[in-house]
Amino acid sequence: MTFAERMLRIDRRIIFLVIGFCTLLPLLYPVGLPIKISPEVRGVYDYIESLPEGSVFLLSLDFDPASKPELHPQAISLLRHAFRKNLRVIAMTLWVSGTGMADQVVTQVAREMGKESGKDYVFLGWSPGGTAVIINMGQDLYGAFPADYNGKPTKGLPVLQGIANLRDVNYAVSLGAGNPGVEAWYVFGKDKYKFELAGGCTGVMAPGLYPLLRSGQINGLIGGLRGAAEYEILIDQKGKAVAGMDAQSATHLAIIVLVILCNLFYFSSRNRARQQGQAGA
Amino acid sequence: MAFELIIGAWVATGLTFFIFSFLYKDNPLFKLAENLYVGVSVGYTIVKTYDTVIVQLIWKPIVENGEWALLIPVAIGALMLTRYVPKAAWLSRYAFAFIVGVGSGLAIPRTISSFILKQIEDTVRPLMTLVPGEGVTFTWSLLNPASSLNTIIILIGVSSVLFYFFFSVEHTGPGKVVARTGILFLMIAFGAAFGYTVMARMSLLIGRLTDLIEFTDRSYGWPSLWLLGLTILALVVMSRRSSRNKPEEQ
Repeated sequence: MTFAERMLRIDRRIIFLVIGFCTLLPLLYPVGLPIKISPEVRGVYDYIESLPEGSVFLLSLDFDPASKPELHPQAISLLRHAFRKNLRVIAMTLWVSGTGMADQVVTQVAREMGKESGKDYVFLGWSPGGTAVIINMGQDLYGAFPADYNGKPTKGLPVLQGIANLRDVNYAVSLGAGNPGVEAWYVFGKDKYKFELAGGCTGVMAPGLYPLLRSGQINGLIGGLRGAAEYEILIDQKGKAVAGMDAQSATHLAIIVLVILCNLFYFSSRNRARQQGQAGA
Repeated sequence: MAFELIIGAWVATGLTFFIFSFLYKDNPLFKLAENLYVGVSVGYTIVKTYDTVIVQLIWKPIVENGEWALLIPVAIGALMLTRYVPKAAWLSRYAFAFIVGVGSGLAIPRTISSFILKQIEDTVRPLMTLVPGEGVTFTWSLLNPASSLNTIIILIGVSSVLFYFFFSVEHTGPGKVVARTGILFLMIAFGAAFGYTVMARMSLLIGRLTDLIEFTDRSYGWPSLWLLGLTILALVVMSRRSSRNKPEEQ
């Protein structure tokens, strides 16, 4: 058996170990590789920057703990930015399994920024119906969410003063890990009730959302951990996403090297098999 | 540090190692963590749904506010449960018909408008731009999504991929060239999607490892180090046991 053939039959656990070390080492000893801001992430940042104080910002945290590493840093950055700009924040989720986590992140960032529930922000929690909730909110916000997550009636909350439905929202961002998510917010929300919309998503979903970005259906897109890192740089508050970028680059490099090596070994063993076949004939 | 945070750190660390142990081989620790994940997810969903739907949206408004009209959707929903009674199962068709009818009515026009019409509109943009004062211009920047060059590339891509999936004409001669171009665009799209998938999976690994590094802290009681050692020990013991049992079985 040649070296190339032995390499092609290598125990896959060795590859897992290589990837594990490539991820772990940059996390322990960060290098600080530069992060370039993409126009799609800047689009979200610039729009929030352009909003006057007291504007209504709706953040829908449409993910569960399975997508936490990618979308949690995005949620933290967006909330910090919105609170820093003194926007009125309405947070909610369309995913029942993400309710507790969404409440935790909103409460944590609000406390850190000195914001008060009911006055500066409200967490509406989850309501059944998926996309129907968006339509319901477009008609009557208080019908869709009669009470917030803590059971307080939403009617009369200072943060919701002057807001009747989605038409009164100045900017909405859906952080989606699937359906219902960014697409549902566009189809049943923005397209019908005409508010400005952006999306945040997992890396897997990002290529599918670029057509919406290009056509102007959404005005910005934060894709995966990379997008979260870019947003952390923009708001000048580096967090877990920036810390993970060195590891991301290292693993990508390792995978590229592995792909090249595998191809080299494959073609080498194929050529050898052909030569042996010709010699045998 | 709060006691529940320390307990949370130990549980999260242990379950992470149990799940990662699958990378070595399938084992009872992985099965335990996997079943716990499914059970906890379902349990959490049931409790949240019961509290939000039954208590907050049905019971309280009817009993406390006298919103008796809510009994109509409740009755339609309850019809679904008749599927468990074979003789009355036909009643559930009314509930399903209602849901399918409303769902289709809401989704079809909105989906056509959002994903077909809007995307066609974006695909057939003018190939040249009319700039006031400058006349008709052609922009070459590949980095600007709205440039004329990108508009042409998108047009070629969409047309060639659509032609590739058009099976009524044999793909020979010039048709073969167009179909091959379509395959090229498809491959680039698949490559980009796979690249993003790799990025996403690595992000999940980074997320778990970041937490594991955080839980090596003394304030948590070094759960990462202790539980890593225990998991490895358990795997070694299980591996030895299974190798001892194999010759006996033979």
